[in-house]
Amino acid sequence: MADSLFYLFAFFTVACAVGVVANKNAVNAAMCLMLCLMGIASLFVLLDAYLLAALLVLVYAGAVVALFLFIVMLLDMQGGVKRPFKKMTAVASVASLALMLVGVTMIKTRGQLSSLPAPVGTTAPVGAVLKNYAELLFTTYLLPVQVIGFLLLIAMLGVIVLSKKFAGMGDIK
Amino acid sequence: MPIELLQQAAANNEWLAITPELMLGLTALLLLVLELILPKAKHGLIPVAAIVIQVVIAVSLALNFNTAFSGTDTVFNGLLRLSADGQFLRLFFLVCSIFVCLLGTVSLAKQRMPRVEFYHLVLVITAAMMLLAQSNHFVMFFVALETVTVGFYILVSYFRESPLSLEAGLKYLVMGALSSSLLLFGIVLLYGVAGNRGLPGGSADSMNFDQLRGFLEANPGNFLASVGIVLVLAGVAFKIGAVPFQIWIPDVYQGAPTPVTAFLAVASKAAGFAVLLILTQRVFTPYQNLVIPVLAVMAGATILFGNLAALTQHNVKRLIGLSGISHAGYLMIGVIAAYREPLAVGAIWFYLSAYLLASFAVFGVMAHVAGSNDADQELDHYANLAKEQPFLAAILAIGLGSLAGIPPLAGFMGKLLIFVAAFKAGLYPLLAIAVGGVVISIYYYFGWIKAAFFPSSLPSGGEPAPVATRVCTPVAGWVRVALIVLAVSSVLLGFYPGAFGQWVLAH
Repeated sequence: MADSLFYLFAFFTVACAVGVVANKNAVNAAMCLMLCLMGIASLFVLLDAYLLAALLVLVYAGAVVALFLFIVMLLDMQGGVKRPFKKMTAVASVASLALMLVGVTMIKTRGQLSSLPAPVGTTAPVGAVLKNYAELLFTTYLLPVQVIGFLLLIAMLGVIVLSKKFAGMGDIK
Repeated sequence: MPIELLQQAAANNEWLAITPELMLGLTALLLLVLELILPKAKHGLIPVAAIVIQVVIAVSLALNFNTAFSGTDTVFNGLLRLSADGQFLRLFFLVCSIFVCLLGTVSLAKQRMPRVEFYHLVLVITAAMMLLAQSNHFVMFFVALETVTVGFYILVSYFRESPLSLEAGLKYLVMGALSSSLLLFGIVLLYGVAGNRGLPGGSADSMNFDQLRGFLEANPGNFLASVGIVLVLAGVAFKIGAVPFQIWIPDVYQGAPTPVTAFLAVASKAAGFAVLLILTQRVFTPYQNLVIPVLAVMAGATILFGNLAALTQHNVKRLIGLSGISHAGYLMIGVIAAYREPLAVGAIWFYLSAYLLASFAVFGVMAHVAGSNDADQELDHYANLAKEQPFLAAILAIGLGSLAGIPPLAGFMGKLLIFVAAFKAGLYPLLAIAVGGVVISIYYYFGWIKAAFFPSSLPSGGEPAPVATRVCTPVAGWVRVALIVLAVSSVLLGFYPGAFGQWVLAH
């Protein structure tokens, strides 16, 4: 059951990813990206990583892609000029194809999951449960969380500095 | 349970251990509050407040140099590790930040820009760099690194009326994102492979540097760990601008405001080397057979590329950027030598200090000579500087001489220490490349000095050389004092290193 679900979602994810690249219409591409992220989230669910799946849907599919769509529609980027075919494109395609072949052969030859030793501990990772995760953030990783607070503050300040209108700036001395 | 949890959290988070960082963060917030409550006429006090508070923090840090880390070693559940090197770097970054704020007062006066945010960003970045240089865990490491990088994205594009500054900011953003992704991929690989309990030494907390080192010792030659190590090194190499990850340097250095260029050149590079030393000497030590060749090839290429590319530059900011690449190369030799020769770590700190003094002297002069277009600073603008501004020209000569490594100055001692360490460690081919690089560098450094001291002597086609317009701002009193301090300590550190030299040699 889990296997067939995995294949279903994996195929769905890859198909959507191809859709992102192949789509001429930027809005459609962004929608495909969202579906692709949903597919990855369902793969995470199959791996019992519910928290990660929820975060992925909330943050990426919900917020980031919505932002993409918003900007695409704001700038009205439809179609665009088709670039002429370059030699470098052929080189890059051959190189990436070769890399993919290397990856597939590596998985075929080395990545035999059944040959790995059985996992020692059977307990779920501590961070997988939301409560443990939150506790870690407020105890062990308290300092990084505080630093991230400053990171967000300077990011916000940066947006203000780089986008505020200059009117009346002359009198700042 | 919650009470126990709170007690444990309180016991493990020793906030007093990071007092300087806390003070800097609070000062940064204070500056924003001051802008709100002070009347506009008194906004000139804000940079003064920033500099004075930083000087106070620096002095108290220097006075408590040895007491701050006695007793405990790792704090914050192993996220940070206090050490003498960490103390030195804290002081180093603070001094950088003080000079950047000083240069900021000079450069920002020529622009119509918001002021306070600049000092706020500088303080936050400084605090993050201090944490970065003491991190003992990949989570802390990455969060601090990203704080530094995001701050620099903003600072680089701060003069947003200039297209070059914006372009530099965009380039730095794209390159920084690329390097962060490489670094993160490496960290994830290491985390994944070291978290495998099926392998000997696998641990649950495999992002902790000590645990990771234990794993690497137990598994020499692990393929995934090797890939992770190379990727992490590549990410760090981006930050220090080592070949082949140097492509962003000339454009970003040229477009960024002059104080930010100085901050990038000195503090960001020093942070990169602090991280590189922690990673290579404390974490990746069992994988020396992999790390040393990678670093050696990069160091040789970095020295040659930096010096050869700087030869043809006429824009002084690009020149200082490209020559900075070669300085990164010399320092990387020190990092490699540190595997076999304990003197090398002290030599790196000495070199960085000499580089700080000389660079800020040069950047101080550049900030004064620059016109309102900050990216446009050519060698021609320095024509006849010695006659019109003998003070600035003298500072420039001392700074450039120290960067080039002319004997009585501190830069020479720094290079000498690195080369001695490399000689003791037996790195003869790299040493030959480095000496060749130093010889090449003298050509372009003296070309700059020549431009400042002698009238421009173009091969005469009858036309007089076009007189470049220079808007040299008068040197304010305390900036003058700071420049004198920089120049004098550049000379003194070369003659008589004193207590600092002893600390370096006793390393």
